[in-house]
Amino acid sequence: MAIIEVDQLMKEFKVAKRETGFLGAMKSLVKREFYTKHAVKDVSFTVDKGEMVGYIGPNGAGKSTTIKMLTGILVPSGGTVKVNGIVPYENRQANAKNIGVVFGQRTQLWWDLPTIESFELLKEIYQVSHSRYKENMDTFTEILGLDEFINTPVRQLSLGQRMRADIAASLLHDPPILFLDEPTIGLDVVAKERMRTFIKEINKERDITVILTTHDMEDIEQLCKRMVLIDHGQKVYDGEMAVVKNRFGKIRTLVVDLEQHSKPLTLEKAEVFKEEAGKYWIRFNREDISASGVITQITQTHNIKDLTVEEPEIESIISRIYQEGFDGVEQPIPVKSGS
Amino acid sequence: MFNYRLYWTFAKKSFLRSAVYRFDVWSRLGSNVIFLLMWGSIWTALYAGREEAGGVSFQAMLTYIVVSQFLSGVNGAGTPLWEIQEKVRTGDISLELMRPFDVPLRYLFADFGSVFFYMITALLPLYIILFFFMDLSLPNDPLIWLAFSFAAFIGFLIRYCIEMAFGLLTFFLVETGGVEDIFYFAMSLLSGSVIPLWFFPGWLASFASYLPFQGIYYIPNAIFIGEIAGYQILTSIGVQLFWVVVTYIFLRLVWNKASQKVVVQGG
Repeated sequence: MAIIEVDQLMKEFKVAKRETGFLGAMKSLVKREFYTKHAVKDVSFTVDKGEMVGYIGPNGAGKSTTIKMLTGILVPSGGTVKVNGIVPYENRQANAKNIGVVFGQRTQLWWDLPTIESFELLKEIYQVSHSRYKENMDTFTEILGLDEFINTPVRQLSLGQRMRADIAASLLHDPPILFLDEPTIGLDVVAKERMRTFIKEINKERDITVILTTHDMEDIEQLCKRMVLIDHGQKVYDGEMAVVKNRFGKIRTLVVDLEQHSKPLTLEKAEVFKEEAGKYWIRFNREDISASGVITQITQTHNIKDLTVEEPEIESIISRIYQEGFDGVEQPIPVKSGS
Repeated sequence: MFNYRLYWTFAKKSFLRSAVYRFDVWSRLGSNVIFLLMWGSIWTALYAGREEAGGVSFQAMLTYIVVSQFLSGVNGAGTPLWEIQEKVRTGDISLELMRPFDVPLRYLFADFGSVFFYMITALLPLYIILFFFMDLSLPNDPLIWLAFSFAAFIGFLIRYCIEMAFGLLTFFLVETGGVEDIFYFAMSLLSGSVIPLWFFPGWLASFASYLPFQGIYYIPNAIFIGEIAGYQILTSIGVQLFWVVVTYIFLRLVWNKASQKVVVQGG
């Protein structure tokens, strides 16, 4: 059953043109010209209850704009959104009770007060019953170790502690849906791991639907079975993470460090896509040629000092989808220099 | 609909928050005393030994200034204009839109908390001592005290509505210096906080009397020293009530426009 329905969602912003120079400034005082920026174009998807979806895209792709429309603080320019049966922007406060939101870049806790005070405030804001509040606090304290810092003012918390407090805060009122906007940004490896474990657990134990935006590929790989990729406001891919990995997993990268040489490196069924100070990055399809096949070709003309074969990382896959589109990727690999 | 407990919690938390910044209390109090000394000396010099000017005794004038400084301490302990502007710029206020509460009311109640803290820890102790040791004209009638407190409270609400609305104008402006200038000019001159309206030249006095700012300082101060007396107290409070309604509607309009803009334009 779909808990989030997004259909042909659009968002356009009118942006004032800034004219340069003195005359331009004078002109814009009297009459300003605008151009339209399409932040989200015709995006549709549905999310079922209990799903965990990665909403992935480069900076400025329209991720946050979509999330803001789902939370109700932005009104779509076209299309429809429904979150748990409610149209968010029409009924913002009712929608607020159904969602929890965490922004990795900013805190929703009261900066100057001990962490516990913010929790108590949220209890009143969302009218959480005393017993439920206590239950939740106990659970979160246990998993997230909140008791280490519950009496410390938020401004003195480390980023890891702050994020733990923030995610606990977003869940106090038992929302069926959780939006996480870059929840692991800036965290160290241990803190990231802890955060992921927690997200996985609440998704499983409480059947909370999670929508996650992130730039951290580890997050996507570990947390999301499904991912929705958007770029330039448009949906590029929506489907299983595993499919993406399979489909593009055949591409391997070989990095070789060559001795001084004069001849150019020419290869069959493989191509050099980056070169830097005697180091070459070579891309090949595992089905066309094996790594040893590529190496043999190189050794015929050059001496190899060092080499490594890189496993396909989701990161490079995604960056290729960004650059070339989902369908174009399987085509013969276009040569890009220096990228 | 009105969730009393929630807003009460805002006041409570904000009270606690003020307690964190004890240094802030002392520095505010310090500057309050400096301004008090300054305006006290200016008015002493202006009276130049005379017992009375413009039908108001020196003692009453000094009382006016002391009470005015007390009220400016009270009004200054709320969320200041620049902080509202800052919250608009950083997007903090826009994000509060996704919470199930009313934003202007939430800030009002938070202000109640911080003002109350500042009042009991700093203002009241200081001004009670001043009332004891200075030769001021205090009202004898408890009803006057009551009328003053009520008028001062309404004045606080008028100031809140104006300051909040002016702060929220940041949503529509890139450059907010002009708004600030107008606000602080009106707050210091047109409100009668340092010069009572009866000393204004005729045209300025009537100009000020058509504006809401007189309700913040002038009316409560003048009630306190007896310049506004008898049935005039009721009409003055009536004027204040009129302005609190108008400024509240103004605040609501600005807020609705602002939140509309946030949800359409992304702030």
